[in-house]
Amino acid sequence: MITEIRTMLLGLVIFTCLFGCDDFVEEVEIVDPTAEESGEDFQPIQFVTGVYGRHTDFAYAFSFLGITEIISDNADKGSAPTDTGADKDQLDGLTHTPSSVSIRAMWTQWYKAIGRASLAIEFTENFEPIDEGLRTRLIGECKFLRALNYFWLVRTFGDVPLQDVDLLERAPISEVYAFIEQDLMEAIAALPEKSEYPPQDLGRATRGAAQALLAKVYLYQERWQDAADMANTVMNSGEYDLEPDYATVWRATTENGIESIFELQGRGEIIAHGIQQYSSTQGARGPDGFGWGFNTPSEDLLNAFESESDAIRRDATIIFRGETLFDGRVINPGVENPRYNEKAYSSLNAGQGDGDKNIRILRFAEILLIRAEALNELGQSSEALVPLNRVRSRVSLPDVTATNQNELRLAIWKERRLELAMEHDRWYDLLRQGRAAEVMTALGFPFEVGKHELYPIPNDQLIQTPEMRQNPGW
Amino acid sequence: MIMKKKNVFLVIFLLAAHVVVFAQNAITVSGVVSEANGQPLPGATVLVKGTSIGTQTDFDGNYVLDNVPSDGTLVFSYIGFTTVESEVNNQNTINVSLQEDTQRLDEVVIVGYGEQKRSDITGAVVSVKAEEIVKIPALTATQSIQGKVAGVNIIANDAPGATPTVVVRGLGTALGGREPFFVVDGQPLQDIRSINPADIESIEFLKGASYANIYGIRAANGVILVTTKKGKEGKIQFNFDSFFGLRSVLNRVEMANGAQYTQFFNEENAAIGGPQLQLNQRYDTDWYDELLQTGAIQSHNFSVSGASDKVNYFLSYNFYDEEGILEGNKFSRGNIRSNNTFHLFDDKFRIIQNLNITYTNETPKPFGAFNNAYRQSPLVPVFYDNGRFGQSFYNQTTGVVGFEAADGESVGRLNTAGNPVSQVFFDDENRNTTTLQGQITAEADITEYLKATARFGATQGFVKRNLFEPRRQIWLNADPVRTEAQFEEGRADLDGDGVISPEFANNRFNVRDEEFFRWNLEGFLTFDKSFGNHNVNATVGISRENFGGREIVEAEGFDVFDQPRLRSLNRRTSAFFDNTVTQEFNQSTNLQSYFARAEYDYAEKYFVRAVIRRDGTSNFIDGENFFDNFPAFSVGWTLTEEDFLKNNEFVDFFKIFGGWGQLGNANVPINVQQIRTDPDSGNQNYVFGPTQDLIFGASFGSPVFPLQWEVTEEWEAGFDFAVLDRKLSGTFTYYDRNNTNAIINVQNLLNSAAEGNFLAQAAEVSNTGVEVLVNWRDQIGPDFSYNVGVNFSTNRNRVENVVPGFDGQVGGSLNNGQITKRLQEGQPIFAWWLLEADGVWQNQEEIDNNPSVGNARPGHLKYVDQNDDGVIDDRDKRFFDNYLPTFNYGITIGAQYKNLDFSLDGFGLGGNKVYNGLANTRLQSVNISEEIFNSRWTGEGSTNAAPGADRDALASSFWLEDGDFFRINNITIGYTFNQFQGFLNRARLYFTAQNPFMFTDYSGFTPELLGTGVPNENAGIELNAYPTTRTFILGLNVQI
Repeated sequence: MITEIRTMLLGLVIFTCLFGCDDFVEEVEIVDPTAEESGEDFQPIQFVTGVYGRHTDFAYAFSFLGITEIISDNADKGSAPTDTGADKDQLDGLTHTPSSVSIRAMWTQWYKAIGRASLAIEFTENFEPIDEGLRTRLIGECKFLRALNYFWLVRTFGDVPLQDVDLLERAPISEVYAFIEQDLMEAIAALPEKSEYPPQDLGRATRGAAQALLAKVYLYQERWQDAADMANTVMNSGEYDLEPDYATVWRATTENGIESIFELQGRGEIIAHGIQQYSSTQGARGPDGFGWGFNTPSEDLLNAFESESDAIRRDATIIFRGETLFDGRVINPGVENPRYNEKAYSSLNAGQGDGDKNIRILRFAEILLIRAEALNELGQSSEALVPLNRVRSRVSLPDVTATNQNELRLAIWKERRLELAMEHDRWYDLLRQGRAAEVMTALGFPFEVGKHELYPIPNDQLIQTPEMRQNPGW
Repeated sequence: MIMKKKNVFLVIFLLAAHVVVFAQNAITVSGVVSEANGQPLPGATVLVKGTSIGTQTDFDGNYVLDNVPSDGTLVFSYIGFTTVESEVNNQNTINVSLQEDTQRLDEVVIVGYGEQKRSDITGAVVSVKAEEIVKIPALTATQSIQGKVAGVNIIANDAPGATPTVVVRGLGTALGGREPFFVVDGQPLQDIRSINPADIESIEFLKGASYANIYGIRAANGVILVTTKKGKEGKIQFNFDSFFGLRSVLNRVEMANGAQYTQFFNEENAAIGGPQLQLNQRYDTDWYDELLQTGAIQSHNFSVSGASDKVNYFLSYNFYDEEGILEGNKFSRGNIRSNNTFHLFDDKFRIIQNLNITYTNETPKPFGAFNNAYRQSPLVPVFYDNGRFGQSFYNQTTGVVGFEAADGESVGRLNTAGNPVSQVFFDDENRNTTTLQGQITAEADITEYLKATARFGATQGFVKRNLFEPRRQIWLNADPVRTEAQFEEGRADLDGDGVISPEFANNRFNVRDEEFFRWNLEGFLTFDKSFGNHNVNATVGISRENFGGREIVEAEGFDVFDQPRLRSLNRRTSAFFDNTVTQEFNQSTNLQSYFARAEYDYAEKYFVRAVIRRDGTSNFIDGENFFDNFPAFSVGWTLTEEDFLKNNEFVDFFKIFGGWGQLGNANVPINVQQIRTDPDSGNQNYVFGPTQDLIFGASFGSPVFPLQWEVTEEWEAGFDFAVLDRKLSGTFTYYDRNNTNAIINVQNLLNSAAEGNFLAQAAEVSNTGVEVLVNWRDQIGPDFSYNVGVNFSTNRNRVENVVPGFDGQVGGSLNNGQITKRLQEGQPIFAWWLLEADGVWQNQEEIDNNPSVGNARPGHLKYVDQNDDGVIDDRDKRFFDNYLPTFNYGITIGAQYKNLDFSLDGFGLGGNKVYNGLANTRLQSVNISEEIFNSRWTGEGSTNAAPGADRDALASSFWLEDGDFFRINNITIGYTFNQFQGFLNRARLYFTAQNPFMFTDYSGFTPELLGTGVPNENAGIELNAYPTTRTFILGLNVQI
């Protein structure tokens, strides 16, 4: 018996020696090149650039206009009556549905940007070797961008899933805001001020940008004291001021200028790169035209300027038929629509695919108005007049003197409309101020209370995730 | 060894028998004892019942027995065969044929790296013997045993040279390999078509995980062990086998004729405001008549085998040739096998050599022609008068089908379907394969109970394909008014740069060479010893394999010579085109494995068995771990060995068994990290800095989860029984199989971080079911015996425990933008997901007042608004089971009366749903089946059951049908001549009808629709399936 066991063991040893070695598995001759061999070596900064880049998609040039401005009292669909712009006619007439493609486009766009930010954060956190300062800053930039996209989502759809938490369960608005604030706090701690960046990094998210967005986030939550304080922090940072001439605020000359807190960047040279077709979708349509003619300032907006005798901002915001623009371009009197959005106009490459237009997301004037609004709500009406009138004086309008809280509130809201016209905030201001039903109904739009306060979750999302809850009324 | 032991017992029994003999009128009886197939049985026992008088048959099965009482009874028995009693009745000659007991308990079953006695098996192992396989002549053995093994679903494909698909215990994977692992004589098999079914001795299906797991990481879809024949002791045997058969379509769909087509066309166009056809048309073509032919099949087999003390030899040659039901569709195969065993050093050392050479020659034809035959209008002729192939041209002015038009008349096309006859005619393709498979095994008996085995095997294959496309002819025949001059004009090199569009090449010639190689090397020790009542068997071993390596070289050129013998890329008739060459490698896999198995039983009563396999695969060397262990165990208890049942007269055998095992499937897709960059204006890039420089960034295409092989776990339990003198026997098994980490293709949710779909191990796929096998066999007198076998199995397939939000992959594309399936937790894998059709819109008012899809018109199908939101969209789709059957069953009836034998086999399945995609995806103005024509809606109130001539092509439950069918797949009558003088030993003439009848309600060609077999593709969808065929075969088998 012992002999047999010995023989058996010997046999095993022989077998093992012959061909019992695990290395065999690794001996395989690889016929495909490895990642190293194909020379792909990625740095965190590239993925962070990719997060910014996500904001240059066509959706910002078309769908974004639909759900931020065309739907509101500030703008009409524009263009030719036969050209619906996919669903811009529905948005304009408040007849949009969960299947409207613009809503789906922005929902997707914002979530994909959030995804890029999260993945870039993860990659950056684990990457070695890297300068720790750079690591901190890059993560801060991503957090700012992620917060910005969540902010856009939450004010559009209300409760939304937090991508990192649960893709199916819609988190309550308060949790979403808490997430946004967390990101912004961390961004504020991580990011340098605008002036602390080297010149080649102009355009990146700054501490000021994160603070400004946080002020706006507080404003939307009616956390007035926090909003006033945070706006004040930005105002006292010494980084920002108003451009002297309102007419130049959206022109190439003031890109990333003193008033700019955060903007989406574009350039006009080949390879031109910016938000695809932002200028051409909104450019004048028809004879000598340079665009599709969508998102035209409404007559109501024009009247609002006129009633305030606000010629400077009117002319900086609206291109009229037959007008000669600042750069000498003459708008043919035969163009399709009576008015076009001048803030979208690009002198250099008006009709080109990739635009050079930098889209102002946050600028100093808004911070002043946030401060004014918050202080007024806190009952500090006379203090509120200071930032408000700073905005007005630039455009040569007389100071507001009202100190009645209600009166002043309306004045501030009106100021916001005129100062920030066509800057993708109007619809949300109306909703936030609880005036959307009143304003839209007065203009004859079929605003349904209890439904139109939020956009519907896109149908395609619900097809993918039938468990997800739709918004009320949809 | 085991058989010898039994013989000894028998002899002892004979000697010990205590009986009294009443020897009145003692006579001498002689005769021949043979097997059912006429093969003489040497060594069979012949005994006078109730006495010890007996003898054994000689080498040729002859016996002579003196002193037999004239009114006595003779008992003929032989191990492994049913015992036969025959009354003497004063006869001097009694010839008896014994039936082999296929479920016999002392039979040896191959179980992978060894064998086991059937009565010792503690799991679901099914063995199919040579007789069962050759009974149904086919190209592959798997086709022959369709419907015979419970729990093994074999899906036929009747196309020449096609391989049937084998699914063991349900489909357990969404994206991984679905094929069972085939092993021939211990050597992994590349392609079952390379094995001649007549060479097979037995096929073992290791269904249960406790047995399959010895093949570890490749066993998740079941293991199929093929054992080929060896020379048997006895005199040299020559065997000739030939059969001829004719083959035709079993289940043809009748299409609308010309008049019906015209009416349908006109109704359809009336609804949408299109043109009308004239009622009198010139042509009325039945495309299937034109396309189909009677196929032919023939096979010739020769083998020589035998054995001496020193060597067992088996040599066979087979030639198989088949012509399909499409003209020119051919497949032929030649196969040579040589199996020799050399016994050295007093049989202490054996060398076993297997060599198999297979070559095939195939002329494929496009099965898309079936699709065109279904779709093309019967008003289109096969040929025009000018000799050109007919196309769907019609005169739009006169409404007459044809290309002729007078001045001012316009010609258009009815539809975009092609001419199926021209499609087949112009398809000129040839495929040759050569497969060389060899293995050498050395076995050494180290001691009486310790054996060492080592073997090396290798397979090399070559595939050569030539494809010739006569572009000039195809171009001319696409339109009868085209001229040679126009073609030359297209070929004219106007700018003189020596380049023209290959669209106007005279022809295209494509040559593809493929080569693959695999090898296996293994060694193992087997210990087998009994210590009193304790029986121990143990195996340990190591194996190495390399497989999957492949090189493909493809070359293409234009303007070569037309004549087949002159076709060469080097001999071109113009200099316009350059030849192109591409080369492709497939990564080979190295597999290193260790395995150990221990089996123990006490007095053949209590059984315990444990197995472990450790596999490492090079496919995963990029991951952290590329080795895994696959354990298994099983237990059994033979109750009939217990005292309380031992002497029971009713129950002969009863054993319960149960087991658990883990299996792997390494044949899975691998995630590739996809980082997106764009050197241009992609959305990864951004602008920074005062001069607004473009900075190039990157983004993750999708998250990359590290993937591993899929691991399947299975529990099974069951019992084997034999009662009533073993006349009734059977097996019952319950199984619960679960793929614990199935890889699914996760959809890019709109709100997820992923920018593309990605793979993740994020689901479980469970298959549960029962398998029942019952056999009844009886012999009535010496002349008549019969057996009836029934098998039945169920399968419940479910996708479970999906990571939330990760399911939802859609599939089952109808190639028209419509999808039909969706992967969803709680449903079978890729269940049908469709709008629910609910009647037909009778009028416009009804449409206006109810939710409807866009462009609905009276006569269109009405769909249910499942979520009551007033809109019909994807959210109104619901699940409707899937294409996998929930039960399979088979029935086998065999009978033998004297020299006449008869067998009948049937096979059926049910619980599945199949999709009639051919009918659903109809485009405007293509043909319809007669049934669709007759059942259509023709106006308000006509019918609510089927849509009108004008209809939409949305995927809906209307086109989903029950896929249940029952098929008689074999009826055979044979007659054996075995009283020959001279050299001829035996001859059997037989007639077989294969698939003579099929019972199904399915309206299409065949409910056996596997398509590519990929669950999220066209499995279960008829788009251009090859119809099921019936075959009538006449065969002759001669033994010398």
